[in-house]
Amino acid sequence: MNYAMVRRLILKDWYLNRWLIMASVPAGLASLAIVLTGKPVAFLLCIILLCMIIIGVGAQLAMATTINERKEQTLAFVMSLPVSWREYTAAKILANLILFLIPWLPLTAGALCVLLLPGATRGLVPYTAIMSVEMLITTCLIVVAGIITESQAWTTVGIFCSSLGLNVLGYVFAHLRGISRYMWGAQVHWSPTAWFVLIGELLMVPLLLGLTFFVQSRKTDFL
Amino acid sequence: MSDICVRFTAVSKKYPHFLLDNISLELPAGSILGFIGANGAGKSTTIRILMGLVRQDSGAVEVLGHSMPADQAAAKQKIGFVSEDMRLYGAATLAWHMSFVASIYPDWNQAYADKLVRRFDLKPQQKIKGLSHGQRVKAALLLALAHQPRLLVLDEPTTGLDPVARREVLAELMAVLADEERTILFSSHNTLDVEQISDRIAFIDRGRIIDFADKESLLDRWRRLRLVVPATAALPHLPGIVEVGGSDRLPVLTTSQFDPSVLSLCTDRGATVQAVDTMTLEEIFVANVQSRRELQPA
Repeated sequence: MNYAMVRRLILKDWYLNRWLIMASVPAGLASLAIVLTGKPVAFLLCIILLCMIIIGVGAQLAMATTINERKEQTLAFVMSLPVSWREYTAAKILANLILFLIPWLPLTAGALCVLLLPGATRGLVPYTAIMSVEMLITTCLIVVAGIITESQAWTTVGIFCSSLGLNVLGYVFAHLRGISRYMWGAQVHWSPTAWFVLIGELLMVPLLLGLTFFVQSRKTDFL
Repeated sequence: MSDICVRFTAVSKKYPHFLLDNISLELPAGSILGFIGANGAGKSTTIRILMGLVRQDSGAVEVLGHSMPADQAAAKQKIGFVSEDMRLYGAATLAWHMSFVASIYPDWNQAYADKLVRRFDLKPQQKIKGLSHGQRVKAALLLALAHQPRLLVLDEPTTGLDPVARREVLAELMAVLADEERTILFSSHNTLDVEQISDRIAFIDRGRIIDFADKESLLDRWRRLRLVVPATAALPHLPGIVEVGGSDRLPVLTTSQFDPSVLSLCTDRGATVQAVDTMTLEEIFVANVQSRRELQPA
């Protein structure tokens, strides 16, 4: 594996998507600030905006770095460079992951910090962490769909399904006894159920990305 | 490393509606191959296999001593590639592309790149999306040339260019030819462009190489003969006849195996040779394809 080449391809994706990433951080922080107004509706608005920004960035990033590269015929240019498909796939996965983490990390940290402010419902911390990681998985799923299918239609289906899945899983997790019992409490309580879900989610990330490598390695045509 | 720059050995690739069938060809270092075929003949598939972007079902491909597609990253270090369906990033400037490509190839020649910028009348700070089609092709050619590749693969680069841009691109290619070490594969369905720059010609049709020869020998052995055959004489049987046109009395024969002895063969049989016409590459290509298609209908 030519790591220098992978790094250059990641930097290329950063350069081409830098405005989206850089704009998402202040936008996300601004939506977090809404909750500080203390109004009940502000909390709901903050969650909706934050989810929209995080999921939107992930979906747009996957579309721009995988589907658009094929649609706009820039893939031929990239593949004319001294790069193998293994390096290309590694670069795409890492670029999406790293670029997504740039807004995801501060916004997730910000959301958790807001929940730790005096008077906030601290019991929501585990659930918020779980749903934040779920959004990371959602992005990974979209990236996987984009890289493997190379199809705008299938990636759009991936975006739709993963967004739907986020809502369904959010509902399911919120109703798990080990989570729901402590969710509205004044203290943070990491139950075994919450840990189990969180660790399971975190394991999904390398599993999905490994699956992408496996499928890509079996392809015979790349252009 | 061998002197053979590109070697295809019995390469096949099957798609649902297309078969690239048993392609074998060798391209010595320093040669310029004009790769001619109609749309859908298999030019781009062959080039994609050469570049390691498509894996052949069978056969072996060796480029600059590297096995493809396994060793494609190493091979592409010395390949410059420009394709008609290749685009640069619209949101980025040419300067960014130049610095990106320069960071990848150790042999990037900035002075030559700057020279090409001036010669092609490009503006490095201009975004690619603001360039015309001709300028985009020139920009892609600049990026492919400035890292001084040993093999230049051009897949229909002049398609869609206006006459001025086409002339500029061809002129630069002619200048590149001065480097005798550089091997070029130039694919096109525009035979005029190919004829100008190539020293070898390969015709591909329906996934098969139907002719592969030196340009000069190809042009030398194809002729169109205009005969006068008296009523008492029969049309002479000549070698390599691919097409018979005209009338019984005034036949026009196209041969792929012309040599001066053909003329005496005609006169010996009582026919008079009115004219021996040379053929353009396009005429040769069309006659070749048509005769093969008549022999092997789809």
